[in-house]
Amino acid sequence: MTLKRLLLAAAFAAPLTLPGVASSQGTLRIGMTAADIPLTHGQPDQGFEGNRFTGFPLFDPLTAWDLSRPDRPTPLVPSLALSWEVDAANKTRWIVKLRPGVKFHDGSDFNADAVVWNVRKVLDRDAPQYDPRQVGLTATRMPALRRAEKVDDLTVALFTAEPDSFLPINLTNLFMVSPTHWQKLRDAAPTAEAAWNAFAANPSGTGPFKMVRFVPRERAEYVKNEAYWGGAPKLDRVILLPIPEANARTAALLSGQVDWIEAPSPDSVPQLKQRGMVITQNVQPHFWPWQPCFVGDSPLKDVRVRRAINLAIDRDGMKQLLGGFMEPATGTVEQGHPWWGNPTFKIRTDKAEARKLLAEAGYGPGKPLKFKVQISASGSGQMQPLQMNEYLQQDLKQVGVEVEFDVVDWNTLFTNWRQGCASPAARGAAATNVSISTMDPFFALVRFYDSKMAAPVSNNWGMFSDPRFDAMIAEARNSFEPAARDAALSKLHAAGVDEALFIWVAHDVSPRAMSAKVKGFVQPQSWFVDLKTVSIQ
Amino acid sequence: MSTVITPSAADAELAVQAVQAASRSEGYWAGVWKRLRRDPLTIVCASILLLMLLAMVFAPWIAPHDPYQGSMIRRLKPLQTPGYPLGTDELGRDILTRLLYGGRLSWFMGIMPVAFAFVIGTTLGVTAGFLGGKVNMLIMRTTDVFYAFPSVLLAVAISGALGAGIFNAILALTMVFIPQIIRVAESVTQGVRNLDFVDAARASGASGFTIVRVHVLGNVLGPIFVYSTGLISVCMIIASGLSFLGLGTKPPEPEWGLMLNTLRTAIYVQPWVAVLPGVCIFVTSICFNLLADGLRQAMDVKA
Amino acid sequence: MLLYLLRRIVYAIPIAVAVGFVCFMLVQIAPGDPINAIVPPDAPADVVEQVRKDYGLDKPLPIQFGLWLWKVCHGDLGRSLATGRPVWSDLSSAIGNTLTLAVCASLLGFALGCLLGGIAGTFRGSFADRIATTLAVAGVSVPHYWLGMVLVVIFSVQLNWLPAMGAGPGGSADWSWDWEHIRHLILPMVTLSVIPMGIVTRTVRGLVAEIMNQEFITALRAKGLSTWTIFLHVVKNAAPNALAVMGLQLGYLMGGSILVETVFSWPGTGLLLNSAIFQRDLPVLQGTILVLAMFFVTLNLIVDLVQTTLDPRIKRA
Repeated sequence: MTLKRLLLAAAFAAPLTLPGVASSQGTLRIGMTAADIPLTHGQPDQGFEGNRFTGFPLFDPLTAWDLSRPDRPTPLVPSLALSWEVDAANKTRWIVKLRPGVKFHDGSDFNADAVVWNVRKVLDRDAPQYDPRQVGLTATRMPALRRAEKVDDLTVALFTAEPDSFLPINLTNLFMVSPTHWQKLRDAAPTAEAAWNAFAANPSGTGPFKMVRFVPRERAEYVKNEAYWGGAPKLDRVILLPIPEANARTAALLSGQVDWIEAPSPDSVPQLKQRGMVITQNVQPHFWPWQPCFVGDSPLKDVRVRRAINLAIDRDGMKQLLGGFMEPATGTVEQGHPWWGNPTFKIRTDKAEARKLLAEAGYGPGKPLKFKVQISASGSGQMQPLQMNEYLQQDLKQVGVEVEFDVVDWNTLFTNWRQGCASPAARGAAATNVSISTMDPFFALVRFYDSKMAAPVSNNWGMFSDPRFDAMIAEARNSFEPAARDAALSKLHAAGVDEALFIWVAHDVSPRAMSAKVKGFVQPQSWFVDLKTVSIQ
Repeated sequence: MSTVITPSAADAELAVQAVQAASRSEGYWAGVWKRLRRDPLTIVCASILLLMLLAMVFAPWIAPHDPYQGSMIRRLKPLQTPGYPLGTDELGRDILTRLLYGGRLSWFMGIMPVAFAFVIGTTLGVTAGFLGGKVNMLIMRTTDVFYAFPSVLLAVAISGALGAGIFNAILALTMVFIPQIIRVAESVTQGVRNLDFVDAARASGASGFTIVRVHVLGNVLGPIFVYSTGLISVCMIIASGLSFLGLGTKPPEPEWGLMLNTLRTAIYVQPWVAVLPGVCIFVTSICFNLLADGLRQAMDVKA
Repeated sequence: MLLYLLRRIVYAIPIAVAVGFVCFMLVQIAPGDPINAIVPPDAPADVVEQVRKDYGLDKPLPIQFGLWLWKVCHGDLGRSLATGRPVWSDLSSAIGNTLTLAVCASLLGFALGCLLGGIAGTFRGSFADRIATTLAVAGVSVPHYWLGMVLVVIFSVQLNWLPAMGAGPGGSADWSWDWEHIRHLILPMVTLSVIPMGIVTRTVRGLVAEIMNQEFITALRAKGLSTWTIFLHVVKNAAPNALAVMGLQLGYLMGGSILVETVFSWPGTGLLLNSAIFQRDLPVLQGTILVLAMFFVTLNLIVDLVQTTLDPRIKRA
């Protein structure tokens, strides 16, 4: 570069970049993968990215995760609940003691009435605040909960349909919003639905941040809640920007428009590092599968076919494709996890064995196995869906399997997940490609293996039904002692792998890229992050 | 002509002039050919397009690799990698091979809608122009409605509602171009209808059908054809745009617009490789545009 | 003349209704039950039936169209399936952003096009003419979404001069015409302006060349009038047609900005359409298309009226 051009560049660059720096003092700007701001009325959509950014920062559930350490799975800790235990006399009744002195952003008190109100918003059709839109986003994540009763101002009783040792974990998904604030908005709105829309634009929770600005599809802005019960966050302001396209996220970070991006594309990582960005990653309780359909004329009904596909995949090759940003999945959880249980069927790459199994199932060069998979082009936890799926397509071609894709939007894929593979929404797909959280046993195992969880109740998209599995699940749910519960779950997990109930592909390590100005960030082994500890230098 | 150009009154006028020229001089086509030969730019464009066409048709023999077979160890190789002269894509597939195969679909999606629209639009336009009256009214007013949509918007609307897929994209694009061709066909036909020799044929007792077949079609097809050639470039850009949006072809089919879309993630690693499909679209589209210009000029007596 | 203008306005009404009908049909041609375009897929069956009745989807198609049109005329474009917000609330802000982008791009394209076209038309056959003509053809032939990508890589990522995406530090809601916002506009504007640039260049070149060839120009020259006077004369004669082309281009850019908005995450109608398509959010798709098409119909009408008024020589049937 000649001196003249250098000077010219400097002359241009100086006025262009300076104002951006001045305006970002104490402000963290995050580029999300979602295409729109996840819903802010208390029950976010857009998968767990929604809970991560418009759930936990604004609201608190009764129970939450300890996100303070990167070196262990995150334990369940008290949040708005101080303690919980099952009623010894009635295993479907839980007594929950609430945290005293907590206030919503609008100044009203958090108490037992608020909990009952929030349970009714998704479970009681006759409640004025009942919002059908939130049911789909919530009920599937805590299917056992039926109702709540006030015991005293700071104690509630929660009732489940059947004894369920998973309830405390499920409760991390129900966020508490301010009934007082909602009622105020309801008085000014013609319908409950309109009131919820108004609430989404102006929410009130108990979380560490308050939303001050909401531009649909463009941005949400939070300021810190000085009065947060868990201590005020360090950041003054958080700005969320939906940037669904990985390339646009990278460009935004490199040009200084954001300080933090979710899921940078692996190919851009060398460039990001070279420009001084920090890349963080940690194993996530997550797996990225193809979830088979077990009914209709799905070829994946045959266990030999499912095993063959599991064996045909070269997961290490895929890890290379992702620049190391994944771990090969040989089950829902891996060896060393309390629920692993040492399955007999060892998932590995063995193309010869895969061909043999396919031949046994009646497929071969004359009659190739063909099926369709519904996938999305982006989405929370979906990693690099197009590239990974294309990779699988190529891998399977080598054993004579022809895979076709039905590419839909992430929200559509996620919504279709609850419709089941027999519904028209599946459009004839024999597998779906929704990445799965494995934080609690219900999420990781039960909702897929339990015949009662068949769509549209929950995410048993493939309509899998086997009394053996139902019995194992009942056993786990009734084991209120943690060790016994884990033993029952490991039996369940091993049986699932042996039957090849999924095509297991990858575990995510949730890469993020952030500017060196971002300090104090801890990436826990979780889908969620604690924004309270973060600051901007 | 679409987002890009609208069939203006001037186009139709030129076309009519060409027709008039055709009806007057016997050696009209010979003259056109003579003028074309003296137009080096048009010849160069035609040659480039012909070369591309041949390369695509013979892709299975020319292409060095399988268009679907990738490999993770050789993904995103730069230009001039031995064995992969144009590098490899995000799944390690040879770019040259995929560009050769990809051209088939891109051209198919660029040409087929125009071809369909040519057949349908000419039929309707000639009918409207020749019969006039209520039929003209019906056809032309319907045309006006579709004409009231910007073409990219109409294409996106129809294929967006129908869902992704090559068939839907072609259907949508055909719908976009039919009204444009109808307008030109109608105006050219009206120009011809009032010419002396048609009157003469009518006076000599020829049936309407014969007049259309012998006198009208022979004289209007040329101008409409030239006009349609100009649409191919537009169609190709919109078609690859649809694929770029995920509304056209689906992975792993090689198609330039879709390749551009999937290679976007690699634009930081191999920027030159990532922009290649765009270059292909650009070159094809510019050549079709210049070719159409050349044809128009060659058929215009004033040129 | 007045009669013509009046007739032209009256004639636009059936066109507008028919355009509405086409938009209405978009949901009908979409695969699946149209009810799925109105209620979320997880709605309970009784809600679905209630909505079916409310929307009149159990009635024959023409009546459904009437009901739909009635609602649209009252500003009710339905609700987004994805967010539950009224379509109009998202659409109204998006239209403003697209209009900003499209107007700026048209103006830039028009200015460049007039410049290039004027030079090319005046000095027909010269080297400058060839450059201008080549640029014009390149402008209409370039896949502009690709051009946008290339510009981002050069100016945002490599040189770090201009932002890569979005509509400014405060989003589009607090858009103002200061540098901090305008710098977000530059790249998408330049990208979008290449098409009108090409077309205006072609048009102006043709117009100028035609006028310059006319006898009265030769006469004016012979009279010894200054170049400036002749230039003014050419402008006066070319302006109505050039402006008409330009007006229509604005409409095309409004409708065609989907690709550029997608590349730059510009929060306009194009980005809205894009996300609506992928979420299969048909009410948003339908509403956006309808409003854009109506805008185009209106613009067409205005251009026509203005052109007729400016240039009474244009004879109308």
